[in-house]
Amino acid sequence: MASIARSSLLRQVASAPKVAVATKPASQNSIIANAARASAFHTTARRDLLPPLPQKVVGTVNDAAPVPTPSPSHGSYHWTFDRLVAASLIPITVVPFAAGSVHPVLDATLCATILIHSHTGFQNIIVDYVPTYRTPRARKAFIWGLNAATAVVGLALYQYETNDVGLTETIKRIWKA
Amino acid sequence: MGLAQSLSTTNSRRAETQKISAAEARSILDKQRLQRPVSPHLDIYDKQQTWFGGSIWQRFTGSGLSGGLYAFGLAYLAAPALGWHLESASLVAAFGALPVAAKVSLKFLAAWPFTFHALNGVRHLAMDLGYGFNRQTIVKSGWYIWGASLVGGLGLVFFL
Repeated sequence: MASIARSSLLRQVASAPKVAVATKPASQNSIIANAARASAFHTTARRDLLPPLPQKVVGTVNDAAPVPTPSPSHGSYHWTFDRLVAASLIPITVVPFAAGSVHPVLDATLCATILIHSHTGFQNIIVDYVPTYRTPRARKAFIWGLNAATAVVGLALYQYETNDVGLTETIKRIWKA
Repeated sequence: MGLAQSLSTTNSRRAETQKISAAEARSILDKQRLQRPVSPHLDIYDKQQTWFGGSIWQRFTGSGLSGGLYAFGLAYLAAPALGWHLESASLVAAFGALPVAAKVSLKFLAAWPFTFHALNGVRHLAMDLGYGFNRQTIVKSGWYIWGASLVGGLGLVFFL
């Protein structure tokens, strides 16, 4: 049935210009031109740009999509927390520019907030591109790799803040070098 | 009435069915799913929305900045073991020894993602609160942020 439908569409499209000139008002010409373009697009050769991963149906096709278990650390709370962290970065980032220097406590706060912001940002990227339902092991590896990296970078920033001049002061000195 | 019934155009025919096991049905379904069409390539969409959209560039610039911070943090902890010097004094000395062109490009490589991510982040938060969803506003504010972030990035490089 599908092939019959398609050939009739093609025949319509092929005969469209004649019809358009003869009887259709101008406003419909663009619709017919679009149909020709759309038809050409749908009949182009298939290209495997992003071939799908192995497919598997969980349960039967008639099962409803599973509803994730509600968790206070995910979903809308997590989303709101993300936004609060992002919004709080605005004043913390502007103060050193305005004041010209920065208190070590503020610098440490800046580092900690940037670290949380980076961590949740990377989390969002992993959640978007490494879905559990298709690549469960890769997802776990990425999430735990990120957790480890964030912990190590947190330690590094602590070391840097306590043993050196601090993040803001370093950037300032490099900028003036 | 009898005539009308015999002239009925309703087409009735027997559907042909075949008994297969659940496992076979599943494997047919899995094979069919592999044949499903893949989303069209990014090339076919409007450039303003995909190539210069604030959304993906927010992610690019953010992961660039955070990736840099993570790379520095890991390198800083590994430095004593590898014999590297990543203390602020040696970083400043190393940067100061670079030619001007390298200084300017490195500064811009750090400054522009920062201005873009900051400005577009504010737009993102405004949109999260429900503002700026008029179609024209989305298009315009997108271009404004490109302009402002480039000007701001160059300003940070040359005037700070």
